[in-house]
Amino acid sequence: MASKKTAHKTLSLAPVLDLNEATALHEKLLGLKGSDLVIDASAVERVGTLCVQVLMAGAKTWEEDHLSFTFSKVSDAFEKTTQLIGVDIDHLMAKEI
Amino acid sequence: MDMNEIKEIFFQECEEQLAELESGLLKLNDGDRDPETVNAVFRAVHSIKGGAGAFGLDDLVSFAHVFETTLDCVRSNRLDPGPEVLKVMLKSADVLADLTNAARDGGSVDEARSRQLIKELEALANGEVLQASAVAEPVVKAAPAVAAPVVNDEGFQPVAFSFDDFEADEPALMEMPTYEIVFKPKSDLYAKGNEATLLLRDLSRLGDMSIHCDMDALPTLDRLSPESAYFSWKVSLKTDKGEDAIRTVFEFAEWDCDLEVSLVSDDAAAPSEELPMQPVPFDLSILDDEPAVSVGVIEEEEQLAAQQAIRDAAVSAAGTASNVLQMAQSATRTPAEKSAGAAASAAAQSAAAQQAAASAATPTIRVDLDRVDRLINLVGELVINQAMLSQSVIENDANGTSSINMGLEELQQLTREIQDSVMAIRAQPVKPVFQRMSRIVREIADMTGKSVRLITEGENTEVDKTVIDKLAEPLTHMIRNAVDHGLETPEKRLAAGKSAEGTVRLTAKHRSGRIVIELADDGAGINREKVRQKAIDNDLIAADANLSDEEIDNLIFHAGFSTADKISDISGRGVGMDVVKRSIQALGGRINISSKPGHGSVFIMSLPLTLAVLDGMVVTVANQTLVVPLTAIVETLQPEAAAIHSFGSNQRLISIRNSFCPLVDVGRILNFRASQANPVEGVALLVESEGGGQRALMVDAIQGQRQVVIKSLEANYTHVPGIAAATILGDGRVALILDVDTIVAASRGQSLKPEMSLAAAG
Repeated sequence: MASKKTAHKTLSLAPVLDLNEATALHEKLLGLKGSDLVIDASAVERVGTLCVQVLMAGAKTWEEDHLSFTFSKVSDAFEKTTQLIGVDIDHLMAKEI
Repeated sequence: MDMNEIKEIFFQECEEQLAELESGLLKLNDGDRDPETVNAVFRAVHSIKGGAGAFGLDDLVSFAHVFETTLDCVRSNRLDPGPEVLKVMLKSADVLADLTNAARDGGSVDEARSRQLIKELEALANGEVLQASAVAEPVVKAAPAVAAPVVNDEGFQPVAFSFDDFEADEPALMEMPTYEIVFKPKSDLYAKGNEATLLLRDLSRLGDMSIHCDMDALPTLDRLSPESAYFSWKVSLKTDKGEDAIRTVFEFAEWDCDLEVSLVSDDAAAPSEELPMQPVPFDLSILDDEPAVSVGVIEEEEQLAAQQAIRDAAVSAAGTASNVLQMAQSATRTPAEKSAGAAASAAAQSAAAQQAAASAATPTIRVDLDRVDRLINLVGELVINQAMLSQSVIENDANGTSSINMGLEELQQLTREIQDSVMAIRAQPVKPVFQRMSRIVREIADMTGKSVRLITEGENTEVDKTVIDKLAEPLTHMIRNAVDHGLETPEKRLAAGKSAEGTVRLTAKHRSGRIVIELADDGAGINREKVRQKAIDNDLIAADANLSDEEIDNLIFHAGFSTADKISDISGRGVGMDVVKRSIQALGGRINISSKPGHGSVFIMSLPLTLAVLDGMVVTVANQTLVVPLTAIVETLQPEAAAIHSFGSNQRLISIRNSFCPLVDVGRILNFRASQANPVEGVALLVESEGGGQRALMVDAIQGQRQVVIKSLEANYTHVPGIAAATILGDGRVALILDVDTIVAASRGQSLKPEMSLAAAG
């Protein structure tokens, strides 16, 4: 999916991001490196620490690459879990819309 | 590692937990009301149940569950652990032990007894508070169902806390203590299927929580290993549930994370601003109304299944995991023990002390006994080898290069140290044996309708594992005798002006390189007239024999002797005390009795600390080299002709400091020579013999003192009367170790059996 100049990619997260999902998510993110990324977490029903770790590592990587890494939509569950474990995703929320 | 091995580990742990359980209950029985003691008891039952569930041991699980429910009532102060309650609980602990044994060895259990106890336990749980019944009933029914999820369900139930309490406490939130929790999961935590979010969620439910996630360790994506742990947390939690509740949250994960719990402050001023964290206000609903929880029960089950997975994984991971597991357990146990005496009012301090104790707990490993034995054997060979080396150096190198001699001396010291350390590995506290005795006392007291209190002292006295193993049987015999024969019935006791409850005291202590175990009862003591008459009836002694009180008392060690008028189920078939004496002697020990009519009897056993080495005096008798155990020798002296007095046909006495002491000619008794030795040419070893009397053992010369490695004669040759064992000397020759007591007994006229003496001479 391309927008104006830089192609940004989207990643829709699976409903269940448990321990088994971490490796797959890691690979997916690695494959998306090099372009802006918008993540759709609206379908997430359950997310575990490992997947949050992968996502945060992604945010760090994207930041180092000077590319944008944002969450377009997050589900309640996603937001509450990150809040519970003290991971702040406010600054990663998409500003537009 | 196959299933059986895992199971074996579980049963080993069960044994530890059962011991923990029993000692905790006994402490409670003695009036200890420390919440830690109750918690330790509860944890023990809880762990057994958890493990049993994993192996589908339904009987064990369902009984443990009922037991646990009742214990929970005690823990939450809904049930006062009075004597009646504890009686039921101690019985339950016995049944739990039986069930565990049955599960391990496939034996059967007295089902009527366990059903009865289940009823009693339930009655206790229900009787006091209505809520308790609500908790107990449904789950009890669920218990025998399929193992895993149900167990988890139960497994979690006691961990859970009451939301009512929580809400009730909320107004008082400001006065709650604040804990700072540092939680650093290790990668294993996730590998075993645990989930930090769930732990943190449980934690948040304990009170008012603010959290800071430390992401500094998080690498960039390409260097990230997706299944490793990078996040760690610093949590500030205001709760009145106490440190225990916090640790309970991490109960199943504690060995896979670094966990620090510390009390920050007791007052509301606990400034979360000082901590570099974002206060996150928690309303618990956020977790409850999340989409996935629309099927809330399933969610819960999954979480529990995760917990189960951790337990399984912890058990199934190879030996190391089991070691770690044990470390974790010993870490949790230590605070319970250490804080036993702490006053409840000093909760804050004791919490801190507990944590210190937990971190200071020595890690332990479980090792196959065979391996230790092999090591001990090898060290024994090393000691012999070292002695041989020293000897050959001395023989071949008369002028003695000092460097070689120094090196040899160092080697000798080193081998000695190695030997001591290896022996220390085998040393175990006598506690487990003593604990078994308390059950025996309970059961026999029940059977005989007597009221008995067992007091144990010095349970941490250490002695070689072999000695401990072989101690249990004679001790059981003696305890049975003490309760059945020694103590009177409550009526008789009251009539004699004593309290209705009899006391049996079991103590262990170290005394001059031996372990001394005393068993004292405050019963009627030995009825000497009766014993004497019985001995005459059984042709053990002549009707006109003149015996001292001590000698009469010692008659009970003769085979075929029982003074009980009626033979009971418990003891008194007359095979007791002689067997006891033989077992103790086989261990290289001695047993003595002293009795005061009306005041009870005391049995004193003295046993060697180890069966592997012995400090001995190497002596020469008729050109044979013998070893006399050093512990038996009081002093050595060079007899003078004037001090020797003859009497009778061939008896001689030696006069020492104005008292006479019988002279025992070792060479004659062992048939090493036919004629009497001349005492003036030899050396006399003054020994303390069984019964307290002193004897002078006559030997030709003393070669020196040395530590010798004991080699069993029975195992390698055959039993030789008068000889306890053998050893190998530095020159490679075999030397016999003298059995001082038998030699002394033989000198009294009870000569060694002739056919055996031949063997000794040859």
